[in-house]
Amino acid sequence: MKSFGKMLGTLYKRYGENPGNMLVHTGVLGWVLSSLAQVGAVVFNDKISTAQKTFLVPQEIADAAVNILSFYVITSSIKRLASKLVSTGKLSTTSIREFLKKEGVTSKNRNNIDCIGNIKFNIEKLDNFPKIKDEYLSFKNGIDVTASTLGSIISCNLITPVARNQYAAVKQKQAMAKMNKAEENRVIYPKGITMAQYQNNSAMHYSGNLKI
Amino acid sequence: MSGINFPIMNNIFGRYVRKNISRIEQGILNIIPDTTYKSEKAVKFIGSIGKNISSAEQRLILGASALMSQPFIDAHNKRVDEDTRKVSVAKTISKIIVGTTTGFLIRKGCIKAIKECSKLPAPGVKKCRTIFAPEIDEFKLNENSDDYKQYQNTFGTIAALVVMMFTNFLIDAPLTKYFTNLLMDKSKNKENNKSTVSGGAK
Repeated sequence: MKSFGKMLGTLYKRYGENPGNMLVHTGVLGWVLSSLAQVGAVVFNDKISTAQKTFLVPQEIADAAVNILSFYVITSSIKRLASKLVSTGKLSTTSIREFLKKEGVTSKNRNNIDCIGNIKFNIEKLDNFPKIKDEYLSFKNGIDVTASTLGSIISCNLITPVARNQYAAVKQKQAMAKMNKAEENRVIYPKGITMAQYQNNSAMHYSGNLKI
Repeated sequence: MSGINFPIMNNIFGRYVRKNISRIEQGILNIIPDTTYKSEKAVKFIGSIGKNISSAEQRLILGASALMSQPFIDAHNKRVDEDTRKVSVAKTISKIIVGTTTGFLIRKGCIKAIKECSKLPAPGVKKCRTIFAPEIDEFKLNENSDDYKQYQNTFGTIAALVVMMFTNFLIDAPLTKYFTNLLMDKSKNKENNKSTVSGGAK
């Protein structure tokens, strides 16, 4: 029971101060499970024709795959950029800006690490950070959640549907071509033996049960 | 990407990649102008987003925006024939409505349940209501702090994911199938009515 409590402690430390991260990680898992179930819903739907299934099944699979990829590339990047904007002081509130002024951090000397907008600068590492901690974290969490929600909308609702439709259309074309070819073969070349096979068989003493 | 810790990222190539990512990030930061929110209302509003938007609310926002974009994208997919397009739109609408409803309700329910069972041990608090309280030695936990609320949200979301492992298959998939067929039937009936009307006019 004690180790369970410790595990919960780790969870607290990892996500308690950073809810935006949690939304990214859980969102990915949720979409994978959902897509898996939807593939089943399409496969076992008798009202959907085979031709349409050849589009809808790859569409669902691509939905999960593209979602994960775009989530990690786009959503994570947008969230990371938003976090950097706040932690480097580029995006701030009046009181955070005043605090930075008191600490001697300005945006004038770009070459100095302790400068607003320098990628290596982090407000959280300042000695007097605890003075502004509550207000800063509340602001940063709000920006993080907004960024991860916006990123999710862009990646899941705009990029994913376009990409998954293109992939599924290609897969449908391939599947239909295969199906048509098999059908053609069945119609044009009915099962039987070729002339060469017949000549081969006739050259043999026996050809199956029939004596030639 | 630079947050991912692969062994390859520790060698010269890794350092080169990290350096370039930092350069790109610095370039983007240089383009964006310094912004200070002066309005107290705006700052409070941003803070409230962080406090109040859990994964349940985020699912609702994503579902609403998905309903506005995805059926439209499917309906304009010229790479497939009209019938496939119609089925695709019907399936997308059904999936979004069902997935958002169940996703929101399950997440919300699980977060509420976890909040009820993660009270910090105190006199008068039953032991069963403290089973999900974390143990941390370094500092004293405060049940009313934002961090603690975020922890409850996270744990509730993880619990919801476990529940959804089953409901995705037991509730979402059959309901999506039902609504897809319903929408397809409606679309067919509409078409039949149209053709009857135009046939009569002929």
